[in-house]
Amino acid sequence: MKWAGLVSLLVLVMGLSLTVGVRDLTLADYVTAITAFDPYDPAHVTLMSIRLPRLLAALIAGGALGMAGSMMQALTRNPLADPGLLGVNAGAAFALILGTTLLGRADQSTIAMLAFPGAAAASAAVFALGGGLRGDAGPVRLTLAGAALNALLLSLVTAVALIRQDSLDILRFWVAGSLSQAAARPLFEMAIAAAIGGGMAWALALRLEALSLGSALARGLGTRPGLVQAATLVAVTLTTGAAVAVAGPIAFLGLMVPPVARRVAGHSLRAELLASAILGGGLLLLADTLGRLILAPAEVRAGIMVALLGAPVFIWIARSLRPGATT
Amino acid sequence: MRRGIFLSLMLIASILVALMVGQVDIGVADLWQGLITGEGPGALLLGTIRGPRVATAVGAGAVLGLSGAIFQTLFRNPLAAPDIMGFTAGAGLAVVAAIAMGLALPMPLVASLGGLVAAVLVALFSWRRDAATPPLTLILVGLGVGFAASALTTFLMTFLPTVAAGEAQRWMTGSLAARDWGHVAQVWGLGVILGLLTLGQVQSLTVLELGADLAAGLGLNVERARWGLAGTGVLLAAVGVAVAGPIPFVALMAGPFSSRFTGARTLGGRLAAAAAAGALITVLGDLAARAAVPGIQLPVGVMTGLIGAPYLLWRLSREMERGEL
Repeated sequence: MKWAGLVSLLVLVMGLSLTVGVRDLTLADYVTAITAFDPYDPAHVTLMSIRLPRLLAALIAGGALGMAGSMMQALTRNPLADPGLLGVNAGAAFALILGTTLLGRADQSTIAMLAFPGAAAASAAVFALGGGLRGDAGPVRLTLAGAALNALLLSLVTAVALIRQDSLDILRFWVAGSLSQAAARPLFEMAIAAAIGGGMAWALALRLEALSLGSALARGLGTRPGLVQAATLVAVTLTTGAAVAVAGPIAFLGLMVPPVARRVAGHSLRAELLASAILGGGLLLLADTLGRLILAPAEVRAGIMVALLGAPVFIWIARSLRPGATT
Repeated sequence: MRRGIFLSLMLIASILVALMVGQVDIGVADLWQGLITGEGPGALLLGTIRGPRVATAVGAGAVLGLSGAIFQTLFRNPLAAPDIMGFTAGAGLAVVAAIAMGLALPMPLVASLGGLVAAVLVALFSWRRDAATPPLTLILVGLGVGFAASALTTFLMTFLPTVAAGEAQRWMTGSLAARDWGHVAQVWGLGVILGLLTLGQVQSLTVLELGADLAAGLGLNVERARWGLAGTGVLLAAVGVAVAGPIPFVALMAGPFSSRFTGARTLGGRLAAAAAAGALITVLGDLAARAAVPGIQLPVGVMTGLIGAPYLLWRLSREMERGEL
């Protein structure tokens, strides 16, 4: 019942996103655009080259971030874990600005390919710095370590961007956390990367659940904690890297989605991952659609819309942590 | 005491170097002549270019450092600083909102309002009916309020025209470029008033540092003393933000650095040392930001971010080893 509600909400948001905008379209337009595509019909062009890629990008990035959030929260047993807050986005931005400055190239696929390893390096770094590998990453420690890494990398990024005017321009368009350039992003490749990450998460889920009972007990059940943690980090990296490459930096999505997903999915991590993917995709798509509407014809970037929603959720979770649990 | 004098000497030396070094280097003799006679290149630099800049840096750094030390003492936690707990972000949001709405109000007033609202929100959201709020919850909720303020700031910046948005972006990093004597008067005038207010509350802060129960036992109105001190701390930080932008990590670093460096025992001495250390960090940070790349002036916030973030990470790992986090 809950699942049916979840899926129908997603379908509703998808329909909304495809039809409303600067140019309102009907679903009938989509049928004709698919059955009898006319390259000179502006409605058809809008649909196939703007709205549809944008929808796919939102679903890929949002779904990937939702799953990454679930994995991080399960791994660190920390309800405030979120790839964006833990410096992953700043890592991607840093790699991006360094890479484009050194390579002298700034086309969309270069940008995507640079953002990916940057996100990976930052997620590993903040996890190690926050004490995640010892299995005792408390919310305050991990969140502050993420904030510190964010500040450090963004200082570097600001410095490079102010020194090199051309990098500033690249950055301005990318750091937006926007889906407006979705059509130019390597959607197919990143969908595969996110799917591999999601598949790994699915395979790891039972072992992660065992791990959450404590490493000693997990060993007794035949799980090797170090290996599971390392494999989960790889999966987190693949999913967040894909999301960053498609949509730019988006924080708070991985924070907000898992608690709601747990309500739907109960205690099974596998079911939670699935629910997180659906919810994450739907939420990012909704944020993008609202962002297109509220200031039309100007756009509010999806990343800003998500952050406006996510910061209060962060406060709410931080507040509801039991005093003992903040350590 | 001796090391306190050494800290003051370092501050004076850094101010001198900051006045001498830049796109045009100038000697002490020229500066002196400019100061005495009011003529020559020294007078130009002192009067219009580097003088107000350095004076603003000293004032803004001092109020930020003092604010950080007040909060760190009040919550007995080295992580409790106005820049971590979202107060400077709130002040920054208010300033950007005022710019976006075209309000012609004095910036310190606007920033103070924003900082106070952020502080009240943090207190409200972390308030528990059944028990006293642990400092770590306060810090986490503060981080969240800071996130919310930053998100709103970014949102508002989309309304600004490109040039204004670029300027706001630079200001949000924390910048001392193009300061004039008006800024100096604001930060020094308000800073001195708030410093005196702090001085009046040193005694209650000393008692509070012993713990709330003991303080209440000694006849202190704990709630009132806390609100008074927190309010003063927020206003100090907001004055700094109003003239120089939310320069990151100065408030966080100044207190621990100065008390370790000077070994000051009395609370008054520690607060004074924190103000001096904040000024020193800001002046040196601005100097480094100006000198780092020839021909380009980086905002001071970039430098304090580069120094402050590793400090925060180091602090976290240390608190972790001591089992406090």
